Amino acid sequence: MHIMAQAGTVSAMSKAKSHHWWRDVAGIALIAAFGAAGYWLFPDNLALLTRIVAVALLVLSIDLVVGYCGVATLGQAALFGAGAYAAGIACVNGVTEPMTLIAIGAVAGAAAGLLMGGIMLRAHGLAQLVLSIAIVQLFHEAANKASAYTGGSDGLAGLMVSPLFGVFEFDLWGRTAYLMGLTLLLLVFIALKFVVASPFGMLCRGIKQDPVRIRAMGSFVFPVLLKMFVISGAVAGAGGALAAISTQVVGLDSVSFELSANALVMLVLGGLGTLYGALIGTVIFMGFEHMVSAINPFHWMTMVGALLIAVVLAAPGGLSSLVERISASRGGKS
Amino acid sequence: MTAGKKILGAAVGAVLMGSGSAYADTIKVGIIGPFSGPFALQGKNFQAGVEAYRALNGKSVKGHDVEIIYRDLPAANPAQSRALAQELVVKEKVQYLGGVYFTPDAMAITPLLSQANTPLVIFNAATSAIMNTSPLVVRTSFTTAQTTNPLGKIAFDEGVRKAITVVSDYGPGVDAENAFKKAFEAAGGEVVESVRMPMNTTDFSPIMQRVRDSGATGLFAFLPSGPPTLGFVKAFNETGLKRAGTKFYAPGDLTQESDLPALGEAAEGLKTSFHYSVAHDSPENKRFVEAAVKAIGSADQLSFPAVGAYDGMHVIYKMIEATDGKQDAQKAVDAVKGLSWTSPRGPVRIEPETRHITQNIYLREVAKNADGKYINKEIQTFPDQKDPGLATQ
Repeated sequence: MHIMAQAGTVSAMSKAKSHHWWRDVAGIALIAAFGAAGYWLFPDNLALLTRIVAVALLVLSIDLVVGYCGVATLGQAALFGAGAYAAGIACVNGVTEPMTLIAIGAVAGAAAGLLMGGIMLRAHGLAQLVLSIAIVQLFHEAANKASAYTGGSDGLAGLMVSPLFGVFEFDLWGRTAYLMGLTLLLLVFIALKFVVASPFGMLCRGIKQDPVRIRAMGSFVFPVLLKMFVISGAVAGAGGALAAISTQVVGLDSVSFELSANALVMLVLGGLGTLYGALIGTVIFMGFEHMVSAINPFHWMTMVGALLIAVVLAAPGGLSSLVERISASRGGKS
Repeated sequence: MTAGKKILGAAVGAVLMGSGSAYADTIKVGIIGPFSGPFALQGKNFQAGVEAYRALNGKSVKGHDVEIIYRDLPAANPAQSRALAQELVVKEKVQYLGGVYFTPDAMAITPLLSQANTPLVIFNAATSAIMNTSPLVVRTSFTTAQTTNPLGKIAFDEGVRKAITVVSDYGPGVDAENAFKKAFEAAGGEVVESVRMPMNTTDFSPIMQRVRDSGATGLFAFLPSGPPTLGFVKAFNETGLKRAGTKFYAPGDLTQESDLPALGEAAEGLKTSFHYSVAHDSPENKRFVEAAVKAIGSADQLSFPAVGAYDGMHVIYKMIEATDGKQDAQKAVDAVKGLSWTSPRGPVRIEPETRHITQNIYLREVAKNADGKYINKEIQTFPDQKDPGLATQ
């Protein structure tokens, strides 16, 4: 019985895989196309677009732990900030090659993810959520206290990043930063697609649905989740490093509770557990925020609130679920 | 029907305005500040200062129309700050940037300035180091060291020999602690203990106990303005330190005018040092307060960021005058080096070397005015104070 059931899921899985294979290629091509379109259509807003890419990496990292593992967190910015500060401190101390800085950010984020996961995964439910808030607050306070290294509340300034490949400078127009960020996002996205489709990714989803059953199957829950935490830390850390490189300043906001909470809102807006939702949510939220705050810099927050309420009421599964619903209804017709 | 007509009218108006601006040149000024969120009042003060200046001095300079574009940055967020500044420069084609409430936000903008060929006039962000990050920055606000510095001598002259410092544990708090310590020790006093409180401290009685135990006769304090200040001052009164004769000194951030109605009686008699009091007695200030109150809507909301913005606009107008509307950041900044004028706060000057404002610092006391409202009454003037933080660099 058991073996049969397993064989059943495996065949279902491979079937699902073959079915989704072309969809993922199309999806990634679409992301690349949107990214390129952003470059051509909004050449004057590349700093904003780069910021969106950096936050998108953070939101993706939250999707990994919240959407795929069911671990509630409001402290993911701790990992983002760890990457940002690691890259920033390395840069101030003479490591100025941008790719190296991204790698440093990813490693620091992964290390922070290991620490954070190690602590958070000991608890469940609400306690876990509270722990995540406590951890991000501790990171925030540590960054504030260690002002000799981090600049404290004045921010870590004076990052002089050398040109990418020795040619492309990080300048006022921000073309280099955006294209580098977009490439990074695409690579990370492709890698994560493989991760979530792998047996390890499936196991994470299984744990999300029923940890007791996974345990009964003979699999350990803690190390699996911890591994996902480390991966998510690397993704968030790379996003933080990208933000540090493109802004040339790292502020305490990058390890704040507010950023964590905002990023979670973006994820919920886009839809949990699909990776696409993370990108859609980030782009829609930040784009909308930027637009209305330029139209009315004094009362724009009410507009953002109205959007959120409208989306949550109209599409409780997030915006990406709308897309799926539409494509499903079309599929039904044809 | 009427709505349709309105839209049509607006469209026609927009077209007319668009064609109009093609003839007369328009110089755009981008102002970045906290116009929403918890610091919205400070942003409103920026706006009030800008609007007051334009109401009193016109909306054009030498035939060049000046257009203001506001951008909201609710909390310290350097990445967003850079994105906003970049958009203002590249897309909106502003010739001048102004505003900026928090230091990290200013730090994120300064690396862009020389490439953007745009000067930045800072209305508030008060850390000394910003000025060294670009030659195109001019500042019309103050630094914590600048406003704190005279307190050391004041305390010593009032007979305090042993003092304790109590500050909130963040950048400006630490700056204030260092500035007071330096000035007080230079005057001949001794700081016997330095307490740094976590930012969100609400129970101050243990701290007052430490003040009592330290044996100091003077207390120097710095907290961010708002509710914590209220609790701190109350604790100071209620634990009997005030009655015991301990003297209280603080920079004027603690008793900013918009907090005084809430502080009320508890603050009466507090001595603070600052660069601007809304109650400053001069014809320039009277004119300014009248125009700024009209812009902000309520007299109780007006406080120091408005005067920083007002003088910032003065500097920007002078820059436009000097460059005759052409975009030349270096020429614009050079033109205001050494510029001196009478601000609502008193005589001021842009120091040519540091591009920071030199101004009077006043010792003030919270007192009731004729109408029964609490004000910061100026009782002593320390003329021509430079920023000691920059002077030592």
